[in-house]
Amino acid sequence: MTAYRLSAGGLVDRTNRMDFKFDGRTMSGLSGDTLASALLANDQLLVGRSFKYHRPRGIVTAGPSEPNALVTIGQGSRSDPNTKATVAELYAGLDARSQNRWPSLKHDVGALNNLLSPFLSAGFYYKTFMWPAAFWEKVYEPIIRRAAGLGRAVLERDPETYEKVWAHCDLLVVGAGPTGLMAARTAGRAGLRVILADEDFRPGGSLLSETVEIDGMPAPAFAETLLAELRSLPNVTIMPRTTVFGWYDDNVFGAVERVQKHVAQPQAKLPVERLWRIVAKRALLATGAEERPLVFGGNDRPGVMMASAVSTYANRFGVASGKSVAIFTNGGTGYRTAADLAAQGIEIAVIIDSRADADDVAPTGTRVIRSGSVTDTKGKHRVSGIVVERSGFEDTIACDAVAMSGGWNPVIHLACQRGAKAVWSPELNSFLAPDVGNGLAVAGAAAGIYSLAACLSDGAGKAAAIIADLGFSAVSDVLPSVSGEIDPSFTALWYAPGAKAKAFVDFQNDVHVKDLGLALREGFGHVEHAKRYTTNGMATDQGKLSGINATGLLAAMQGISPADVGTTTFRPFYTPVAFGALAGTSRDEHAAPVRKSPLYNWAQKNGAVFVDSGLWYRPAWFARDGERTWRQSTDREVLNVRQNVGICDVSTLGKIEIFGRDAAEFLNRLYCNAFLKLPVGKARYGLMLREDGMVYDDGTTSRLSSEHFFMTTTTALAGGVMSHMEYCAQVLWPDLKVRFCSSTDQWAQMAIAGPKARHVVQALVEDDVSDAAFPFLAAQAVTLKGGLKGRLFRISFSGELAYELAVPAWFGEAVADAAMEEGRAHGICAYGLEALNVLRLEKGHVTHAEFDGRVTPDDAGFGRMVSAQKSDFIGKRLSTRYGLTAADRMQMVGLKPVEADKTFRAGAHLLREGAKPSTLNDQGYVSSAGFSPTLGHDIALAFLKSGRERYGERVVVWDKLGGTETVAEVCHPVFVDPGNAKLNS
Amino acid sequence: MSKTYISRHPLESRIPADPGIRAVDHLEVPQRVAIATVMAAEGGDAFVAAALAAAGDLSLRFVAPGEWLALSQLDTPEILQRNLSLLLAEAAHIVDQSDGRVLLRLSGPNVRRILAKGIATDLHPNVFEVGTSSNVLCGHISVNLARTGENEFEVIVMRSFAESLFDDLKTMGREFDLSVGFST
Repeated sequence: MTAYRLSAGGLVDRTNRMDFKFDGRTMSGLSGDTLASALLANDQLLVGRSFKYHRPRGIVTAGPSEPNALVTIGQGSRSDPNTKATVAELYAGLDARSQNRWPSLKHDVGALNNLLSPFLSAGFYYKTFMWPAAFWEKVYEPIIRRAAGLGRAVLERDPETYEKVWAHCDLLVVGAGPTGLMAARTAGRAGLRVILADEDFRPGGSLLSETVEIDGMPAPAFAETLLAELRSLPNVTIMPRTTVFGWYDDNVFGAVERVQKHVAQPQAKLPVERLWRIVAKRALLATGAEERPLVFGGNDRPGVMMASAVSTYANRFGVASGKSVAIFTNGGTGYRTAADLAAQGIEIAVIIDSRADADDVAPTGTRVIRSGSVTDTKGKHRVSGIVVERSGFEDTIACDAVAMSGGWNPVIHLACQRGAKAVWSPELNSFLAPDVGNGLAVAGAAAGIYSLAACLSDGAGKAAAIIADLGFSAVSDVLPSVSGEIDPSFTALWYAPGAKAKAFVDFQNDVHVKDLGLALREGFGHVEHAKRYTTNGMATDQGKLSGINATGLLAAMQGISPADVGTTTFRPFYTPVAFGALAGTSRDEHAAPVRKSPLYNWAQKNGAVFVDSGLWYRPAWFARDGERTWRQSTDREVLNVRQNVGICDVSTLGKIEIFGRDAAEFLNRLYCNAFLKLPVGKARYGLMLREDGMVYDDGTTSRLSSEHFFMTTTTALAGGVMSHMEYCAQVLWPDLKVRFCSSTDQWAQMAIAGPKARHVVQALVEDDVSDAAFPFLAAQAVTLKGGLKGRLFRISFSGELAYELAVPAWFGEAVADAAMEEGRAHGICAYGLEALNVLRLEKGHVTHAEFDGRVTPDDAGFGRMVSAQKSDFIGKRLSTRYGLTAADRMQMVGLKPVEADKTFRAGAHLLREGAKPSTLNDQGYVSSAGFSPTLGHDIALAFLKSGRERYGERVVVWDKLGGTETVAEVCHPVFVDPGNAKLNS
Repeated sequence: MSKTYISRHPLESRIPADPGIRAVDHLEVPQRVAIATVMAAEGGDAFVAAALAAAGDLSLRFVAPGEWLALSQLDTPEILQRNLSLLLAEAAHIVDQSDGRVLLRLSGPNVRRILAKGIATDLHPNVFEVGTSSNVLCGHISVNLARTGENEFEVIVMRSFAESLFDDLKTMGREFDLSVGFST
């Protein structure tokens, strides 16, 4: 055994030794150790350097509030910086490194900061590095960031996997200590679905460190008995290694489970961490209490620890924190630690009690100094003595560890995360949880109930109340009996008077009492201001040890009650959570779902290059041999559609089936143009406005029978239009008899466009598709040769003779293949989004590049479509307001370059010739632009002030991003076939 | 010229021809299920619900008040459409979704734990009983979930999302060595 490992006792497995590394040195620990207990057993007390002054720091706690013992565990991309050694479960092969030191932990150059500390007081960044201003970002901040800091984030890709899981329960018990175990047992016996979560790898909480007997058993054995019963109940789930970090709306709790953080080689099929979202009807906080440090001179010397931690290391881990331990206390807990040490045969140097008199009994022969104060500590990398003062008499007492106890702070973090403020209790000298209603109750030490017997009873009692509240019946329960308890009450001591060295409040961020005093003097005395000004409570431990002491000190400095100072704001997360766990599996290809069209495979085998279009993957162009750029492929596709025929996947358009006696009336109110009298078998272009009169979406709607319409929306707004319609049907006009549902995924839909389109379509369908039988805007069900049922629409986005053929999705690929086959003789080609865009641009057809939410129907040239006859439709009222009808509104026009080889880009602004670029001189903007292979030069759609009156005028297309100015002629926005001869051919 | 068109299952490229060894937790994909949206016409909710429930050869999935998915594992989409039309006549509007939806069947002792990785709904058998169905989110994707047995659920997803959902379910089932295969 090592020097500090006790010869017996503790919940460690002495037969299972585990080798691990710290800063490259191989050490040995035991199964059941934390990294911290193993380090202590190896006499490795010094574990890190403080953030600002680089002072040597040792292990202070035995739990999640640890401010000092932050290490990096693992190597390379698998390293976890800022891991608390006090909660890190030891495993064979664990590889830990200390942080914030150079070149080594013992000899750290940054410690020079400590010598400079008179100049590094609170707020020093703001005062010292103010001038010159440009220096802050380039010089000061990088230097400060290198000098001050903790572990380094790894920039490599995280190779681990994470996942997120939902859980549901009647009662979530947070904390598996005495209170939580009793609550879970009571609720479990009554049949509630119980989740018992505990952050430790071994449930039991303080029972694991207790020496008292419960029901005649040692406390850890009692815990094991309760756990064994809980494990036998199918309605109880025990979740060890799980930290409940947040409380959210609807009583949902966030928790992170460390599934494989304690193994050297994680299994690939399991995540290393799991993020739980626990939906709880009720929750009970049994989170216990955190021991409060004492603020005295030199209290950051390695070897100064929390008294409860000294007890825990001795009782649970069989490790002595020192060979001669001084105890500084303001209550009964210091005496409990003294008893624990005495029982283990560890020497007690002295007990200094800040109180004048108390009933607590020290172990026989122990020196007790009442009304005493510690004013300084001696030693470098481990404390070697303390300076004690009583009524002016000073004495130096040798010791190699100091156990301090400043009383208890209930852990109420979760209860305060949703806005309610902690409540000061003068009787208990601590902040208690506010009343936050039925969803969450607080029990045991977390509620300020410190005696073990009372905690067991409170856990059972609060659970019984919840059982009744949820309508279950409690099973009668005999409370366990406890013997040998001490009284843990205390008298508040915010500051041990007479400090001769820095008395630290926040160990990690190097905030000492004088910093808080400075904050107060300089007008930053409000607890939230003091926090930011001094950085107290802003470290990775988020003020778990320092927060309440800062409040107490700020109150004491002003002679007011801590109630009037209050606490800083509690927010999730209780302890840090890795981003990986928050992301879960939503990374790489799982970051967002991919939607695939039924014609995806068809497009792929025809050489499609795909582009993300929302969630869809859509073909952008179809590259052929010899084509080196997208433009070559696109130009070919466009010309081929104009000259022969092309086929394009339009399955992604939103499709909605609308039924009912009032379906026509419903559409008539949704669209700004008339739909009431749309004949059966006809499609009509429709414009939907928002209530404010701006265009929302466009598409075609066909009447398939008198009470059955088929609407298409743009791809982008398929979901939005559906929601809009649900709102209209359910909220605005519930009296209308209309039902609708999406059929977007049911149909594979292909546009077949070009002068030879009819040959291809006629080869596929039985029905007559001649212009006479199936004229422009015809829409009806058709039968394909071979019997397959489909739908055919004579609509055109390209301006060519065009059909859209829809067939059941699973047949889409086969039908598209057949269309290619039938079209081969006619020179058919597949065309993608790029060609689709050029074709519509040439025809002056609009997309959401034009309908960007600022455009009225009249702006886009659809003024005459807006029905004046209809009594109402969405957008009618506000579309006539002043401003929407102004004569100088920007109207859609076409642009062509005066010099044919000049190009346009969307986003460019328009200026009068000779005008300087300014907001005042802005005449409009280019919404869409591209090269027209049909015309042989660039064309654009643009919005120009009073544009329709200005055809023939020259404007400057000012492209600040591209650094170009191009003179363009304003023209009609339809560049190709303005007479619609092709459409109707 | 008459043509015969081949129908392709959307997950054809995802599911190996040789499914390998079937694990206790299994994701089974039926080759073809006839699915139709049934929407009760004005005031016909109760009648339609009763008529659909009485039709023994149909499976019913709740979508929204007055709206269901009707499923048939035996009939073709055309026959399902016709049967529903005969059954409900003017009382309901019927839309064929057989090509627009994909059905996946998850079964095994760990199926609830697998689904909890994507679905926020409480699937405890006392809460989500056998025969219950609902539209829920699975990760990012909206699905219709039905409990068809103590340890068996059916998920109906829009066709375009089927591959992504399938990939997600496999990830969710990784811990339990979930196997996948078409129905045989």
